[in-house]
Amino acid sequence: MKNDVTKIVLAGEGGQGIQTIAKILSLALVKADYFVSYIPQFGPEQRGTPSVSFIQFSKSQITYPKFDTADIVMVLRRRAIKTIESYIGSKTDVLFDSSTIARQNFTLNNSRLFAIPATKLAEEEFGAKNQNILALAALAKNFLDYPKNALWEIIAEQLGKKFAKNKSLAGKAKEAFDFAYDFSLESKKFTKAEYDTSDSLIVKKNSQRVAVIVPKYCKGCGICILKCPVNALSFGKTLGVYGTPVPEIDIDKCINCGNCYRFCPDCAIRVVKK
Amino acid sequence: MKTPNEQFAMPQCLNSKSKPSLFCPGCGESIILKHLGNVVDSENIQSKTTLVIDIGCTLLSWNYFNFDIIQSHHGRSVPVSVGYKMARGSRVVIALMGDGGAYAIGLQSLLHAAFRNDPILAIVINNTEYSMTGGQMAPTTVPNEVTTTSPLGKNASIFGPAFHGPELVRQIANSKAFIARASVGNPTLMDSIITKAIENQQKNNSFSMVEILSICPTNWKTDAAESFEFLAKLEKIYPVGEVKKTLDKKSEDI
Ligand SMILES: Cc1ncc(C[n+]2csc(CCOP(=O)(O)OP(=O)(O)O)c2C)c(N)n1
Ligand code: SF4
Ligand code: SF4
Ligand code: SF4
Repeated sequence: MKNDVTKIVLAGEGGQGIQTIAKILSLALVKADYFVSYIPQFGPEQRGTPSVSFIQFSKSQITYPKFDTADIVMVLRRRAIKTIESYIGSKTDVLFDSSTIARQNFTLNNSRLFAIPATKLAEEEFGAKNQNILALAALAKNFLDYPKNALWEIIAEQLGKKFAKNKSLAGKAKEAFDFAYDFSLESKKFTKAEYDTSDSLIVKKNSQRVAVIVPKYCKGCGICILKCPVNALSFGKTLGVYGTPVPEIDIDKCINCGNCYRFCPDCAIRVVKK
Repeated sequence: MKTPNEQFAMPQCLNSKSKPSLFCPGCGESIILKHLGNVVDSENIQSKTTLVIDIGCTLLSWNYFNFDIIQSHHGRSVPVSVGYKMARGSRVVIALMGDGGAYAIGLQSLLHAAFRNDPILAIVINNTEYSMTGGQMAPTTVPNEVTTTSPLGKNASIFGPAFHGPELVRQIANSKAFIARASVGNPTLMDSIITKAIENQQKNNSFSMVEILSICPTNWKTDAAESFEFLAKLEKIYPVGEVKKTLDKKSEDI
């Protein structure tokens, strides 16, 4: 480990399990006899802005929980980059989710960029909930050289309640963990960011009406789908601000009742007569 | 028709830079704010509206609109609004607060504003708990409802029944005051109730209070369908519509 104190920033959207990873990682470091400081980002921002955690560990005591430049940054969604970009220095190792973030979103000229397509792997192979376990395993192996079995024990202990409720979840989580621990990180050549939030409007028209859906405002709450009286809405493939699917509209089925607009909390959908 | 752009599904007076908002996915407060924006648009009062927000999740709306927004303290959006209105009588002044702010720490301010007929509109968001701090039991928590501080369900014999704010305020409010309850379950009715309340301030220079039943999927730990199911239960306990005085004449005359 590079310095006396190693500084880590973890960032993503709320719901991606950033604080869960941070807690597990901190406990793992304590178990390995380090002094550890972990603070989640506080403030009213904690609801609708990226979720960030700051971790430091050292063999000697840590005197101050804040820092300017990180040794390791892990970032799992594009919107979070802006929040944590200032912590990336020329010697910072950056691990990102290449299935949600394209390489060119990092404006910094940093050659220490590494990736694992965690969201894609989770969605397509290990179950959506395991995206943070994939990221955690890749981080702990590649940047901290943390022993595999010891780390899994802590994960199993921390997520024990969830695993007890759902046995297949536990099995999938372990598979994801094993896979990611042995995954050789992407560098220079990255997976396509097909799970990134869509920046473009969705516009659907027929002779009577026009529907507009704004993925970068949609939080995937599903209220519009619930409130549509004719089932003209369902979740599609395009992703919204939190990486959740946004509704798709069957414009011919729609009767223009206005409910989706009326109930959408985030001004992300509206249908109007032509 | 407007050409489709990112503001297509937004009331005009909304600040598009506040999007995506700070509210959780599926938050009822966000639905309420959108409808408040619709009423401000249709009443054509954007240039003279001032919103005073409380502590609680309402503070997440500090940049929601393209009109003035004042941040007050917990339970203090009403007295700040009253003072502001005294100084700037031509403004349309709206205080926005949670049920904790309105009925626990700030109740005396609300009661006296209603009693004095201070010409402001108090909007109280009733989601049956303290949301911003993690879903603790509030006066409005209904019997047997599970919250983080009533993990076995609210015991009404110890903590009292569901707190009916508008009904309480009605008993001492000036007769010109407009007092009603709406629900995010019925946005069209919510629009017309908010409109009436704003007109009562503009035309009659009088106090209005609107409680709005809302959903908090984060603390309720509900999905869309479950949120609206619980809201329907709340609508049975907390009836929606204008609230009328129930005390008899005699007690008022005393
Ligand atoms: C004087 C004071 N007491 C306590 C708090 C802590 N506090 C912050 S938000 C909050 C709860 C707000 O709940 P509510 O008014 O119901 O609004 P909601 O979050 O549900 O919209 C509390 C108690 C505070 N900020 N100030
Ligand atoms: S306008 Fe009505 S019918 Fe059309 S999609 Fe929206 S909710 Fe469904
Ligand atoms: S109600 Fe709005 S935010 Fe929720 S899923 Fe529909 S479009 Fe997205
Ligand atoms: S905690 Fe509840 S009231 Fe607050 S923003 Fe989230 S859903 Fe809305």
